[in-house]
Amino acid sequence: MAHKIAVVGDKDSVLPFKILGFDVFASSTPRIARETIDRLAEENYGVIYLTEAMAKEIPDTIKRYDAEVQPAIILIPNHKGSLNIGKSRIQKNMEKAVGQNIL
Amino acid sequence: MKKGTIIKVSGPLVMAKGMEHANIQDLCYVGDMRLVGEIIEMRHDVASIQVYEETSGVGPGEPVETTGEALSVELGPGIVSQMFDGIQRPLDTFKAKTNSNFLVRGVNIEALDREAKWAFKATKNVGDIVEPGDIVGTVQETKVIEHRVMVPHGVKGKLTAIESGDYSLEDVVYKIETDNGEKELTMLQRWPVRRGRPFKKKLNPDKPMLTGQRVIDTFFPITKGGAAAVPGPFGAGKTVVQHQIAKFSDVDLVVYVGCGERGNEMTDVLNEFPELVDPNTGESLMERTILIANTSNMPVAAREASIYTGITIAEYFRDMGYSVAIMADSTSRWAEALREMSGRLEEMPGDEGYPAYLGSRIAEYYERAGRILTVGSEEREGSITAIGAVSPPGGDTSEPVTQNTLRVVKIFWALDSSLAQKRHFPSVNWLTSYSLYLNDVGKFMDQDLEVNWAEMVQHSMNILQEESELQEIVRLVGIESLSEKDRLTMVIAQQLREDYLQQNAFDEVDTFTSRKKQLYMLDLILSFEHEAREAMRLGAYYKEIVDGTVALRDKIARAKFISEDNVEQIRALKDETKETIYNIVAEGGMTQNA
Repeated sequence: MAHKIAVVGDKDSVLPFKILGFDVFASSTPRIARETIDRLAEENYGVIYLTEAMAKEIPDTIKRYDAEVQPAIILIPNHKGSLNIGKSRIQKNMEKAVGQNIL
Repeated sequence: MKKGTIIKVSGPLVMAKGMEHANIQDLCYVGDMRLVGEIIEMRHDVASIQVYEETSGVGPGEPVETTGEALSVELGPGIVSQMFDGIQRPLDTFKAKTNSNFLVRGVNIEALDREAKWAFKATKNVGDIVEPGDIVGTVQETKVIEHRVMVPHGVKGKLTAIESGDYSLEDVVYKIETDNGEKELTMLQRWPVRRGRPFKKKLNPDKPMLTGQRVIDTFFPITKGGAAAVPGPFGAGKTVVQHQIAKFSDVDLVVYVGCGERGNEMTDVLNEFPELVDPNTGESLMERTILIANTSNMPVAAREASIYTGITIAEYFRDMGYSVAIMADSTSRWAEALREMSGRLEEMPGDEGYPAYLGSRIAEYYERAGRILTVGSEEREGSITAIGAVSPPGGDTSEPVTQNTLRVVKIFWALDSSLAQKRHFPSVNWLTSYSLYLNDVGKFMDQDLEVNWAEMVQHSMNILQEESELQEIVRLVGIESLSEKDRLTMVIAQQLREDYLQQNAFDEVDTFTSRKKQLYMLDLILSFEHEAREAMRLGAYYKEIVDGTVALRDKIARAKFISEDNVEQIRALKDETKETIYNIVAEGGMTQNA
């Protein structure tokens, strides 16, 4: 089953992804971001890339989809640089899966 | 009559020779003290007699006299509100006569008071043709029980004399012209305890018996005429469950058999029941209760008899057209009494030393329960609902008494010690218990309450079952790994468990819940679920719903303490639920950011 990929975040950071053919959703406020993600989840998107800066504002939304199979919400740095949230999430998930940090 | 001679005494078992004239199940007087006993085995002229009293001091050579009659109970006015021992000796008269707090041996007391006068009101006239089971008159025995005097079995013919008036049990009240001459009859009859009283037809028990206990009435209902087993380890609350049912069930009469349990439990009954008011009649509970006590320090053989005495009395009132409930606490002690006698008889033991006929004895008892049409020309409907506590050692329900009981009863209320330790009472385990009357009761309730009750119950059961599956995941990987939908299920299940199933027997309001209140309470929780799921579909998050409904859920939890007179308040809470959750959706949960 094919899934779509979406990118959510501030306009400057997400626009380049259009070149790759991803669906791009610019959101200026956390509220718009949350509603966008909820909508995308229902529209059967498999992967949603979300900028770390925006993710910081809507932790509940991220948590909500943690337990769902899809969409997978992947955090990416924005054009201003990384906040290291995405990386620490990966490490945490790995610890949960194998029991210790192997990176 | 010819007398036999004792050749061996072994605890409650006495063997006597020279008894060739006696028959099995005959009542005997044993020894010089004339202890009451019953013949349970005959080999040539040697009879094995189980003695219903303590046998110390009895020795070989003493005489045994048989009465030629089977162990019987006396049935007539004066039986209600009494407390009897296993062979129907009234304990208060016993105490007055012997001046002792304990049983004294060889005392012969009439089961029913011979002196008391009862106001008999004839309902039949001279010249009427009557047959066994027909009611010839009534006696208002207590405020709530009208004792219906029935023609005894085997007597049939034309009434030649009958008159209203005050009579004692020994006075002739009516005369019947039978084929073998005129028969003078009193209000008293006797019936052998080991034989079930006849009835015309057995009916399907499909009307529920209201117990006021939510977990029982909603999830594992019992019907009038049904049979239920309550197995549970020590401290799980078997006795409290039995007491609660004895107090609040909507039957006409309750027979409570305290069989081998602590004397204090019978004391509790004696202390509490007279003060409690029956919600159905508004009178004291004692007015409709008969107690049979064979506590753990009373003779073992009489324990076996107590169960039969109880059910025979219950059958007698059933024949009058009443619905009767009989509680036996506990049938395990009865089975242990059987085991003890069987061991002394040197019979081949079966499972765990219980006699091989344990299963058939248990079945015999529970089969005497049921909804029936009585004998007699005017058909009445009566029922006996039998509820037996079982005390499986170590709480292991795979032992023979529980298993044999489960073969014959259709309801299983499994009391769970782990729930009891969590202070979840009544500790009926909703996953292992069952009631095979659920469909019949569901249909009845659908019509009675005019809602889709059966579906609501099934839905709630599914939530509870789902919770137990989710609980396993949570134990492995933590609550965070559950999806929002599943976490909501856990919240609803918790509400069902704590706000609905848990019931405090010692709280004045919570101790009894009517059908209507049960419906409102269950409906409230399910409507909360419905609204919450709808809100989630509209985009509200689990956390927002849970945080936003703290006060509301607290109110739902307190719904059980709303008294029966104010049940409409529960209805109002339902509207509040709708409103609160609507507001959460409207806010969109972004209060902190927006």
